[in-house]
Amino acid sequence: MGFGQFLAAPEIKLKVVTYRDVFQNTAQESSRFGEDYETLSAVIRLDLKDISKLSIKEGETVILRNGSGKVVVQAQKSGYEQAHPGIAYMVNSPWSNVLVPEDTGGTGVPKFKDFEVTVQSARGASVTGIKEIF
Amino acid sequence: MCTGCALLCDDIEVETEGDKVTVVHAACRKGVARMKGCSEPLECTVDAEGADMDTAIAKAASILRDAKNPLIFGHGNSSSEAQKISIGLARKTGAYIDDTSSFCQGPIVEAILQERLRTCTLDDVRHKADVIVFWGADPSNSHPRHLSRYSYFPRGKERQRGWEEDRKAITIDIRKSETAIICKDERFYQLPAGGDAEFMAALTNALSGKVPKTSFDLDSKRILGLSNIMKKAKFGAIFVGLGLVYSLEELDPLFALMDKLNEFSDFHLIPMVGQYNMRGFNHNLFAETGYINRLKFDGDSKELAHGPENSVVEVLRNKNIDAALIIGSDPLSSLPLSIARHLADIPLITIDPCNNLTTSRSAVTIPCALGGVESGGTAIRMDGVEVELKKIFDSDRLSDQEILKRITEAI
Repeated sequence: MGFGQFLAAPEIKLKVVTYRDVFQNTAQESSRFGEDYETLSAVIRLDLKDISKLSIKEGETVILRNGSGKVVVQAQKSGYEQAHPGIAYMVNSPWSNVLVPEDTGGTGVPKFKDFEVTVQSARGASVTGIKEIF
Repeated sequence: MCTGCALLCDDIEVETEGDKVTVVHAACRKGVARMKGCSEPLECTVDAEGADMDTAIAKAASILRDAKNPLIFGHGNSSSEAQKISIGLARKTGAYIDDTSSFCQGPIVEAILQERLRTCTLDDVRHKADVIVFWGADPSNSHPRHLSRYSYFPRGKERQRGWEEDRKAITIDIRKSETAIICKDERFYQLPAGGDAEFMAALTNALSGKVPKTSFDLDSKRILGLSNIMKKAKFGAIFVGLGLVYSLEELDPLFALMDKLNEFSDFHLIPMVGQYNMRGFNHNLFAETGYINRLKFDGDSKELAHGPENSVVEVLRNKNIDAALIIGSDPLSSLPLSIARHLADIPLITIDPCNNLTTSRSAVTIPCALGGVESGGTAIRMDGVEVELKKIFDSDRLSDQEILKRITEAI
């Protein structure tokens, strides 16, 4: 399945904030290559307005792209009471790390928790598997 | 002792069958998973073929001996005894040596060791703290027993009424985390990304009796309310999470806030260290060299270079290394892919109990015992307290300490 098929779908730019999740962390302890780890990691949590802009439904896949790489993950509602259009959340994982920029300004500290991506529907495409990441 | 995180919970009981932990009592779900062990244990291999331990150690020694600029990285999931051998190995091979603190809590631990930030123990917090601040931290997910064992819920010697009356917990974060929900809406301060330094300055102003203002229009009355709570604290503790560490370009605003707080109150700071003995590595390297991380030894002399250019991130970005030894860590998962990619281009040795992305790209993989279950030693908790790890049962797998010792001897 090529990426060309997504060209017609609307795309939006979002700022991504990463966070920790104890359930994902538990799955990581059991197996980095397990289904649970992928299910709990390969997710982006979006504001309802952004879901609407993307013309997608919760649970569908989206492709995230920036100058660092691209990855297909599942889209979910963030569930936060307060609206946060333009900001999306991802649990810290190899999937989010595909998108963290290389540039550090020489500080030795990448911007793990604050980067931009372009998001577009990837309806029908599978989530990127951990072994496909590298 | 649970090695699931740097709380190092010491009230754990386990049931075993042979060499398996079958039931874990009292630990959080992450700790239970850690102590039961992973479902994909690492095999001993050389060039992806099964190998015996002697062959793998000889090959690892040969890679490190032949390398001009090796990197030794990891350490957060190793005992202090293993870390000290690793530091010796780096000295012997003229290696770069670093750990995860290099891109997380390093600046905070360094400031504490340099006595620039006042700290206390988790036991002090349990017994005395009446104002607790979680800043850019979400212990409900990162350290699940933090609130119940130490910071919020327990009855302490001077806090017999616990969280209901005796403690006020405040969350300052970019999002309403699970911890923020526990601390209640009126004690949750939501900041925009990168707004921490400005909020810190506003809070410092409020403590000085000035009107606090922020460019993001956070209600001045709320900031004044927070400053009043902090001023009146008998014993305050700020728990610093990665959200704050990544947001601050320098620590000066934090120093200014802590200094101002301690003009009125008795405030302390503890870093929310993730891996169980990351802080141990910082202490051990500091004791030997005066630096906590990001070092390059010169093999022939006693000279060493320190600074961001010697950090794991920069030496990988700049492709400065020609071999790497990774101990108890998975940089191919935890670092940005664009940076970690260079690891796959060089001879890589990993020592770990489990398979992970980095082991899958390694020329040599050496399985080690699981710390706190199959091997013992000492470790340093997130608050700087040294604790003893007790081995639960014997295992066929060597400890990382023993493996590192044998690699060093082979070189």
